[in-house]
Amino acid sequence: MKIRNTRRVAQVFFFALFLFFVVVTDLRYLKGYPVSLFLELDPLVATATAITTHTVYMGLITAVLLIIPTLLFGRIFCNWICPYGILHHFIGWLMGKRRAEERERIESNRYRKLYSLKYVILIAMVVAAICGSLQIGWLDPICLFHRSMTVAILPMINLIFPSSIYVKQYFHAGAWVIGFLLFFLVGMNVLIPRFFCRVLCPLGAFLGTLSTFALWRIDRDPNKCVDCDLCLKNCEGAADPQTQLRKSECFVCFNCVEDCPEDAISFKFLPQMRREISAPMIPARRALLGSLIGVGFFAFGRSTGAADRNYNKKAIRPPGSVEEKDFLDRCIKCDQCIRACPTNVLQPALLETGLEGIWTPILNMKLGACELNCTLCGQVCPTGAIQRITIEEKTGTGKFADQGPIKLGTAFYDYGRCLPWAMETPCVVCEEVCPVSPKAIYSREVTITKRDGTPITLRRPYVDPALCIGCGICEHECPVTDEAAIRVTAVGETRSPDRRLLMDGGVTSAVRDLEKRQR
Amino acid sequence: MKTNSNDGDQTRPGGISRREFLIRAGATTALIAGASAAAYKLWQPKHFVPGFGVQTGLQLPSYATAVSKVLPSLAIAHGSDHEKVIRAVIGALGGMGRFIQHGDVVVLKPNVAFDRPPALAATTHPETLAAVAKLVLEAGASKVYVADNPINSPTGCFLKSGLRQVAIDLNLDLMYPEASSFSPLQMDGEILKHWTFFHEPFKKATKVIGVAPCKDHNLCHASMTMKNWYGLLGGRRNQFHQHIHSIVSDFALMMKPTLVVLDGMNVLMKNGPTGGRLSDVKPMGTVVAGTDMVAVDSYGYTHLMERDLDELTYIQKAHDRGLGNKNWKDSLYKEVQA
Amino acid sequence: MPSATPPPKNRRQFVRTKVTLVERVASVVCLVLLAAIGGYVLWKGKHFDPALYSVRTESLQTTTNEVKGEDGTVRGADARPESRVATAPKPEAVVAASAAEAAQTPDASAPAEGSAPSGPPIKGDPLEVNLPGTTPMSDTEFYGPNNLFEKIDGRAPAYLTFNFQQLRCRSFSVTGAAGSYVDVYEYRFDTPINAFGMFAIERDTNGKKIDFAPDGYSGELGYYFRQGVVYVQIIASDQNAKTMALAQALARDRAKNLKADDSGLDGRRQLPSTGLDPATVQFVQENAQGQDFLKNVFQAVYDYKGKKLPFFIMVTKPEDAAAAFKSFQEFCGKFGGTAKSLPDVNGAKIFSAENFGTYKVVFQRNGQIGGVFDADDIDKGRQFVEEYLRGELQ
Repeated sequence: MKIRNTRRVAQVFFFALFLFFVVVTDLRYLKGYPVSLFLELDPLVATATAITTHTVYMGLITAVLLIIPTLLFGRIFCNWICPYGILHHFIGWLMGKRRAEERERIESNRYRKLYSLKYVILIAMVVAAICGSLQIGWLDPICLFHRSMTVAILPMINLIFPSSIYVKQYFHAGAWVIGFLLFFLVGMNVLIPRFFCRVLCPLGAFLGTLSTFALWRIDRDPNKCVDCDLCLKNCEGAADPQTQLRKSECFVCFNCVEDCPEDAISFKFLPQMRREISAPMIPARRALLGSLIGVGFFAFGRSTGAADRNYNKKAIRPPGSVEEKDFLDRCIKCDQCIRACPTNVLQPALLETGLEGIWTPILNMKLGACELNCTLCGQVCPTGAIQRITIEEKTGTGKFADQGPIKLGTAFYDYGRCLPWAMETPCVVCEEVCPVSPKAIYSREVTITKRDGTPITLRRPYVDPALCIGCGICEHECPVTDEAAIRVTAVGETRSPDRRLLMDGGVTSAVRDLEKRQR
Repeated sequence: MKTNSNDGDQTRPGGISRREFLIRAGATTALIAGASAAAYKLWQPKHFVPGFGVQTGLQLPSYATAVSKVLPSLAIAHGSDHEKVIRAVIGALGGMGRFIQHGDVVVLKPNVAFDRPPALAATTHPETLAAVAKLVLEAGASKVYVADNPINSPTGCFLKSGLRQVAIDLNLDLMYPEASSFSPLQMDGEILKHWTFFHEPFKKATKVIGVAPCKDHNLCHASMTMKNWYGLLGGRRNQFHQHIHSIVSDFALMMKPTLVVLDGMNVLMKNGPTGGRLSDVKPMGTVVAGTDMVAVDSYGYTHLMERDLDELTYIQKAHDRGLGNKNWKDSLYKEVQA
Repeated sequence: MPSATPPPKNRRQFVRTKVTLVERVASVVCLVLLAAIGGYVLWKGKHFDPALYSVRTESLQTTTNEVKGEDGTVRGADARPESRVATAPKPEAVVAASAAEAAQTPDASAPAEGSAPSGPPIKGDPLEVNLPGTTPMSDTEFYGPNNLFEKIDGRAPAYLTFNFQQLRCRSFSVTGAAGSYVDVYEYRFDTPINAFGMFAIERDTNGKKIDFAPDGYSGELGYYFRQGVVYVQIIASDQNAKTMALAQALARDRAKNLKADDSGLDGRRQLPSTGLDPATVQFVQENAQGQDFLKNVFQAVYDYKGKKLPFFIMVTKPEDAAAAFKSFQEFCGKFGGTAKSLPDVNGAKIFSAENFGTYKVVFQRNGQIGGVFDADDIDKGRQFVEEYLRGELQ
């Protein structure tokens, strides 16, 4: 079988696999499918998180399985495996210069200096990682594609075909930005083939750098070559196979092998270095600028204090999340957790957690609440920003009864909006739906005289902060739907030692302690 | 553009030299091996539960000196002049030389919690600290640190309380708390298990002396030598108010000082811990010093503040936990007049 | 680089034909790798750690509630929605066992508590089993008479006639066959007779006998039996060998752990077994054969000398039996029927009757009243009854 056809089979396979993973990341179907496989194989994710956290989290070690072939064969990932690359390849083929003149197509695939931009982007991201801020998620293709599917494309499909994807339509904050960004990047293939892959992709830049040492590469036999430039006609990577091959740009798509009428191009083991450009061309000044931007991202982002004392009360992270500074070291903004969440409570943050936290997950109780016996977000997180905790660890039962449950925050009443407190109306839905046992919400009966003079007996609710886990079901079910009368805020979360509300983590209730205190 | 095919290797058409092969293949193999090894070394195969992990921290050594069978472990001195009384009380204990030897690095821990003038007796009196520091220097200490983590702004507190001047006058090492000065402390307290601690002054310390005022406290009744160690903790200390008595008794576990000095020359009898009125301050003309902070505080509460010891919960707790003896008369003590 | 000889525009596409062996081998290797990856993904899908994940569809409850209009939020002035009572997710202690562990440890779970509103007994101890190869897929569900229809819909009214008390049900996953599960339903009634009655009505005549439950049978997808006051249904999701094995294990487990109680079923014991078609044993609570004095009647169909004879028996106080006998005889004499007294046999009074083309032979002895009914052969009916009364039919 011709190797190019094998490549096509691989493309179909991996793209279908990616779509399968995206669709099956749902409470009903997930079972044990490794839906974050592409993210765990992504070498940039593994390497960047290794820089920021000095560890390789669980499944990320499988990135070695992609690094080794890259060091041997070059950027095969970009055209054989990467689902985003496959998408661009396909869209480019569909909309591009398919029927255009041969000459136009050849010219569009010549190498341009613009294609060195991705290395500058990579440098900026790596420098930011070294400083302590993980920002690869903006442009890493797998993260970007997962995020776009989760936040924009799947909800779009569900709006057009109701109940096809979700039980109830999912909403996501800032979906339009992510959706239009995807359309833009894919649409740019009309102007420049494989625009994203050649110009912006930091993973491609990383793999391109590794490809410097590749032992195999596309080689042009100068004795047979007649300089017709036909090898450029379908060159995906714009790797200049017609002269010295740019190893760091070649996607190993084998189109040139097929297109050469003189059979001058083959895939060779350790051919002459003279006929290749081994390392990527990175202009030094641009690289320096990239480094500065990387430093600036970390420095300017961190100096708002959003990850420190000036934290936003609405920055409630998913259960199992690590402490905020570590979270920003790990979260690649892939939004897999948002996809897996069965209640739509997880949302991509805008600026609540600072500049670094854009598109990282936070909870918005208006849309849902954190299910007590669910740890799906941790199960699909590839980097351990949300640890793979068990349900027992989350609920603080069984072996973990001593340490207690994981708290996301604490609920606070807004007594001016609460029906029994301010509106003479019985309610206590919050107490009913509080899922912990014993309940964190309790109520006291009181009889008041209404405005019309009749008496009414009401139950007025209170929160026990020692028991509240911040799941937000109370806020979600509160009938005052525009701004609930009980709202969860981030204080009291167990993941942060400096955001704890109660000193001892709530072994004794603060309320009871106040009663016991002398004088 | 036709390239010249005469590469000089007709023997190996299109090939490379063996040396080049070894270098290139070797480099790639090394990279593969390196990447795999690095990945494996850094691999974290198990998850953890954030916020609940087993935490480790530093543990303070004991700074106490050997127990003496002959010399008293608690001394009380009465008088009117700060320096004379301090010298008398230390002399009654056997002199500073009993505690401080030549070359010691000593940390003096005063109470500089608030930016109050000395007359209001809310902070350690500068004359008291100066007297203790002089004795320590005379005993041959190589370095004397003065350190505290105040509740109000550190520079303002040290300045307004007059203690900064003491440090300047006597050439002491005044250490302000900075973000990098803190390390996590680990101990098996009732409440305190893991907390951020003002570690910087203690990194090289061999002896520690607490110099505390004797004052009323609205939450825990009195702030004396035990409560003085509160000033070594960082983080969100206000959470301590939820369990104040347990925490103060935990301090007796946390710190085993060489010596504590309770300054009862002027006692803040009410409206503590910040005070505010001169009428709240009563001159008692007494200084108590000893090696057992529980015993020293017991004397202070009963004799200097003239209250019933039974209501001081943290003393009872510390006594019950075996961290000291609330019956100060049990030990060998000496009372002198300066 | 500008080329020396520009090619003609849009020439015919060149197609490469020389494919080297290395290329072929490489292609095959790649395809094999792809297949391996696909296989790995499928295998991973089947094996998952239940400590992390189980199909907890209650997690979708909050979303589906809103879709179905059962959202618990009070929209009106002062109603406390009762319908939420059954659908609110119940917090129960969760059992965590990794797929690698064979045995499952039942957790000492605290029953759900809190200030949930009172009502029918819709709370109770979770359904725990101590079996290898399975973990609970979800929390135990409870239903009372008021909301049984939410679970079994149209079948509910029949259950209610037998004084249904509580349904406790739970699904159990099959380790190693992801997606397969077994449902366990335990319908609790107030008396064993009532449990039996409901069981008997739904009995599948093609069911096979099972050795661990005398009142029970197995079907293609599960096991059905009565144990004590509980009518148990074990229903598998598919006929996979592992699933069926688990279904049997669960059935045996429930039969072992549910209290056996046959009180009040003595009447059934008095049905002779010779010629009895066990699939036809029924218990009619009241109005058997349309007679208001015939209550708590056991009946079955017998194969007697080539004829199918329905036979019934009712055990009650002697005076009630006598009164019923008399009323029955009187009734049969009306409406164009004939009733004829027959000689006593073994201390029992007998009458035979013919109504609307069918025959009955009814006896009464002390507290027993019974006989053949709806038969088309009166002689055989009479022989049957007399043989029974003489103790010749066991």
